[in-house]
Amino acid sequence: MFKITLSPAERSYLHESLSCLSPIRPDARLNKQFRPLEATCSFLPGSNGSARIRMADGAECLASVKAKVVSLQLNNANSAQHLKNLIEVDLDINGIRDDSNLSSTIASSLKGSLVKHIPLEKLRLTHRYAFKLFIDIVVLSHSSVYPLTLLSLATYMALKSTKLPLLTSTVNDRDIEEQPMFSDDWESSLALFGDSSLSPPLLFVVAVVKDNIFIDPSPEEESVSENGICLTYANGKIISPLQTISLSPKDNTGINSAQILKAHALVKEIGPLVVKSLDEIVSDDSIKTIF
Amino acid sequence: MELYSPEGLRVDGRRWNELRRFYCRINTHPIVADGSAYVEAGNTKIVCLLNGPHEPTRSQMNTQKGSLDIKLHVSPFSTTERRKVTRNDRRIQELSTILKNTFEQVVILKNYPRTIIEVNVRVLAQDGGLLAACCNAITLALVDAGIALYDYISAVSAGVFDNQILLDLNRLEEQDLSSVTIGVVGKTKKLSLVLSETRLPQDRLAKVFEVAVNGCHQLKDQMDAQVAKKGREKAITEELKTNWVQ
Repeated sequence: MFKITLSPAERSYLHESLSCLSPIRPDARLNKQFRPLEATCSFLPGSNGSARIRMADGAECLASVKAKVVSLQLNNANSAQHLKNLIEVDLDINGIRDDSNLSSTIASSLKGSLVKHIPLEKLRLTHRYAFKLFIDIVVLSHSSVYPLTLLSLATYMALKSTKLPLLTSTVNDRDIEEQPMFSDDWESSLALFGDSSLSPPLLFVVAVVKDNIFIDPSPEEESVSENGICLTYANGKIISPLQTISLSPKDNTGINSAQILKAHALVKEIGPLVVKSLDEIVSDDSIKTIF
Repeated sequence: MELYSPEGLRVDGRRWNELRRFYCRINTHPIVADGSAYVEAGNTKIVCLLNGPHEPTRSQMNTQKGSLDIKLHVSPFSTTERRKVTRNDRRIQELSTILKNTFEQVVILKNYPRTIIEVNVRVLAQDGGLLAACCNAITLALVDAGIALYDYISAVSAGVFDNQILLDLNRLEEQDLSSVTIGVVGKTKKLSLVLSETRLPQDRLAKVFEVAVNGCHQLKDQMDAQVAKKGREKAITEELKTNWVQ
């Protein structure tokens, strides 16, 4: 983790240039432009899906999706609640305790958005058995105060590259209990998001400076921002949760509706482009080593 | 399952004295770490990030020599069956201590008084030979950081199947056979690390060591080739830079 210390003059200069009518970012990016990033996926042979994302400043995140067959308790009436338990998110940020505030907030907001957008019915194998997905995220290093964008991009790619083995035994085991059997041929495995109309959600953190919204803020930009907004994008629209977060230690001014609308429009504009480029990396299976 | 067939082939199709595919890269994380390395031995995958030598944050500072801090993180998804390992798991702590004791002998710590070298080893996938792969990754990260070493330490495991010695065991073999992991200093026959968690017949020990030392020398050559390659790349970029300035 890096500590950004700017002098009052530098802070003021940066804040002024970011709050202009046509803002100038320190690295000359447009407000909707990401820093270059490097990504690979499906490099872990022991996981059903895996991905690695590295930002230009060295912030790096690994995500793995592992599926395990679990038996469902049948006499549980609340089956929707039950299916939610089929997803578990575990987060490990280097240098931060697992039970820290940041770690648990991020894990819960990720899980909350994932549960609604993973085709849970696809995890259901038979009447008695289902796949449980373990999503493990490891942050090797991060520079942002709130590294949710990074995590979300890696999780998206890991989920998109997830493949589940093909069930060969009977689907109906309502009367006779039978252990599920799977095809040995990995070629016939099914992609979790193969033919689904659903798509994993992407969470974007944007920085707010005066009336301007910036995607993928650098640590310097974060430190002069007045507010941060976290937006969730899935299937072409902005969905809940939408929340404000504090990216800088200085006193946050309030947020107005115009800023939220601007952020909404910005994420809606870049969302499809991000999805498209990540999907391209997922579908390119020529690279199988991480480094 | 047949671990060693009468034709002389092992479960993954290797001969008795063959290493698994060894793939290593150094300087994989140039921005966030002072030294970094990535090592793959078969399906075992390790990332090593090294920071330092820098001033210790805690007050415990040794005025005579530098201190070495090795932390081993095992990712929950690294095993076939997902298993969450806590940081104070006894086996993990033991392995970190073994690595620390080994590398304290090979790093010239007297050159770095009042400093700390922090090493974070992250295990991404395990398929046998965990300690050996960690050892090789740490050596490469130390070399990448430019920290003074007496020599490389390359490590490999070897086991015994009936009368046959097998080099570089994978997970299946490691579970069923008695084995030993050794670390060798450079291209010598000096051992800096020996760890055996199973019973090993004493009369085989000499032969096992001989095979394993041979394997270590092969790994040392591969690691050295990678370091040299990175060095050449660096020299070329430096040259381009100076020419461009002129």
